[in-house]
Amino acid sequence: MAATTVEPVDQLYNETRDLRLSGFLLFMVSDLVLFSSFIFAYLYLRSSGQGWPPPGVSRLDTTFAALNSVVLFGSGATMHFALENWKHGKFMKYAGWLIATIVLGIWFLCGQGWEYAHIHAGWSNSGIFGASFFTLTGMHGFHVFCGVIFLTILLLQSVNGKYTQQKFFGLTAGTIYWHFVDVIWVVLFSIFYLL
Amino acid sequence: MNVVMLERVVSVIGAIIVAGTASVALRNDWRTPGLENQVFKGMLALLALGAVLAFFAAIGVLGRAP
Repeated sequence: MAATTVEPVDQLYNETRDLRLSGFLLFMVSDLVLFSSFIFAYLYLRSSGQGWPPPGVSRLDTTFAALNSVVLFGSGATMHFALENWKHGKFMKYAGWLIATIVLGIWFLCGQGWEYAHIHAGWSNSGIFGASFFTLTGMHGFHVFCGVIFLTILLLQSVNGKYTQQKFFGLTAGTIYWHFVDVIWVVLFSIFYLL
Repeated sequence: MNVVMLERVVSVIGAIIVAGTASVALRNDWRTPGLENQVFKGMLALLALGAVLAFFAAIGVLGRAP
């Protein structure tokens, strides 16, 4: 019977992988708490105030937001394909899907910038309601920006051979982070544009 | 076709594609074990939900025009 030898580095990786995954998920939970506190503050203000949007402030453009949302949700799908292709050893497809994810993330950020620049009348002095909107969407936009940087670094690292088909925790963490950013936008899109 | 109509058409087509691919990916990963795959499944489900919401927003069922 042939004995299988495990390199010490691989053994260490296998032993600590679940720990690192748990640590990263805890980080995501802490981020979720941060968003939740702002979201509940906004919902409280909205339920106790004069309605949304306040008098004198025009409604947000739902159609444009829907398009921008589809762009971000699409980037979640491309990120999923990127990781799946990496697991199956298809490097070129992986790189293509990851680049598509980065491009869609930048597209979303440009869309958000365009929305800020063209936001309708009354928003500049809309008080705590406007502050809630800009704080939450701005904080989310900052997370998308960090995600774009994160994914770009992952792309460069994978090109340089840092990851293998057996050891790719960084890519898993990047995918979790990007899905998290998508999921937060589902909530923000619902409460600001749909309710 | 004006800009708003173009935005609606692109949103509807994109939302259908994203919801479809997320649902198919969710079905393919349904039986995969492990913590990370459970997280991915939950997030893919929410991604599909988001695409459905964007679809209804694009066709004017959800949300209101400015």
